[in-house]
Amino acid sequence: MTEPASSAQFTYGWMRRFAEAAHRGEPLLTALDQEVGDGDFGANLTAGVDAARARWDRLPDPGSDPSAPLLATAEAFLDEVGGTSGPLFGLLLQSLAAAIAERGLTTAALAEGFAGGLDSIQRVGDARPGDKTLVDALAPATDVLRSTAPSTPAADALAIAAESAWDGVAATARLRARMGRSSYLGGRTEGIPDPGAVGVALLLSCAQAGSPDLGTRLDAVRATG
Amino acid sequence: MSAYFETASGDLASEALRSFADVHGELVSAPPGFGFLTARDTSETRVVGLLSGGGSGHEPLHCGYVGRGMLDAAVPGRVFASPHNRQVYEASLAVARPEGVLHLVKNYTGDRINFGIAAERLAHQGIPCARVLVDDDLASDAADIAAGRRGTGGTVLVEKILGAAADTGMGLAELQNLGERLVTRCRSLAIATSAHTSPATGKPAFTLDTGQLEYGVGIHGERASSTTPHRPLPDLVERMTTELLGALPADTPVISLVNGLGATTLLELYAAHGQLAHQLRDAGVPLARSLVGNYITSLDMHGFSITLMAVDPQALRLYDAPVHTPALRW
Repeated sequence: MTEPASSAQFTYGWMRRFAEAAHRGEPLLTALDQEVGDGDFGANLTAGVDAARARWDRLPDPGSDPSAPLLATAEAFLDEVGGTSGPLFGLLLQSLAAAIAERGLTTAALAEGFAGGLDSIQRVGDARPGDKTLVDALAPATDVLRSTAPSTPAADALAIAAESAWDGVAATARLRARMGRSSYLGGRTEGIPDPGAVGVALLLSCAQAGSPDLGTRLDAVRATG
Repeated sequence: MSAYFETASGDLASEALRSFADVHGELVSAPPGFGFLTARDTSETRVVGLLSGGGSGHEPLHCGYVGRGMLDAAVPGRVFASPHNRQVYEASLAVARPEGVLHLVKNYTGDRINFGIAAERLAHQGIPCARVLVDDDLASDAADIAAGRRGTGGTVLVEKILGAAADTGMGLAELQNLGERLVTRCRSLAIATSAHTSPATGKPAFTLDTGQLEYGVGIHGERASSTTPHRPLPDLVERMTTELLGALPADTPVISLVNGLGATTLLELYAAHGQLAHQLRDAGVPLARSLVGNYITSLDMHGFSITLMAVDPQALRLYDAPVHTPALRW
């Protein structure tokens, strides 16, 4: 079945904006990860989107399939990014691509795709909400998508989910890390949001053209934290 | 200057592996890209592919155990670093059988995550995948170690026995079940008189004062929770044996593995085994089978580990089944 061209244009635009935002935000993401992790999150994110760009260029018919840019981005993050969080982003996008391939770009497909991605990520990393990981942004965003009326346009559902993810980011700033490399720092991570959670919220925000940039978002997080 | 012989590329692990694949070309093959090794000759009756992997630096684990009666594929990472999920994923695709693929994973966070990501990708492709997590190291059995016990020497015995089980045509769930049962009945302890040399710094990963030894050391230079005075071999092996037996079911025959950590002489290893056999006799524990040698090393660490696995007749039969790999053969 061929999707309307607008759905494919939407997911392409979303991924392109994510790639640009990752590059613009890299210094801030790196600085953030240097405070709580090993400092490679910004570089891993830009490596992933650069690998994805190369794959988008090789797609046969970019105009017809809204899942294609998501799947290409997923495989780039899974195959070509080192460390942990990059491939975990790949699992989220892989699940999202599968749901959209099956059901089209609908709010129900987004809910299913995010829920599947969250399950995968939690199986792999054993992280629960409250552990100060990307799950703290992904879980509330998934909840919002699940509870949004299926008739809601996909773009609107993503906008609401993004706000909920940023609330989750703000919550991570108040948490102490229990998982991953930040856990060795104990109480020293309090006050600093989790970079992986920031990445998830940034991904969701990029579904909208003209959403606030990362610096503005992080200032807001620090003001509420 | 590095303490190790340097290769032209500076990548010792990759060069050694490429050469390993050439030397043992009748048993293993290395597909293009060289992210993993597969067995050339495996049983037609297998319905599940067996795969293991992890950081390099523990040779002959895991590549040495690829071949008939043991692993279908091994996925090495860089020295002491987990392989990338893509290597695990591609190796799994290469060796999956009708009932899928079983991952044998030593319990380290990086390996768990990367094998886990590969498993999610396989599920996405509709390929059944299950995991046996090997966590046999008694020294890391403590309530405050959230990551749980490490995977060490027991891995070799689990790979051997599951390989033979897979050859009987056992299905995925049954193999996983057997593997988990083997792991619960297997414990290891390692001691060292000196650390491995760090490839990055050329210096020992840690230093011990004269007359001290590390009791409960890991296979990546993780220090033990305590440093103890160096004692004669009988005393050390007695303590190790007592602690290991205390963690295993009573009155059950055991398979033993006395394993060198890289820079230990065979003289020392056989002497240690002699003490172990003596201790087991005194404890009334039948020693069913024994292995002595370098099976899972830690670069050039001077030390050894003892692994004991309590076995029933089925496990023993599977252990005895023929095996033909570069590092294990009977």
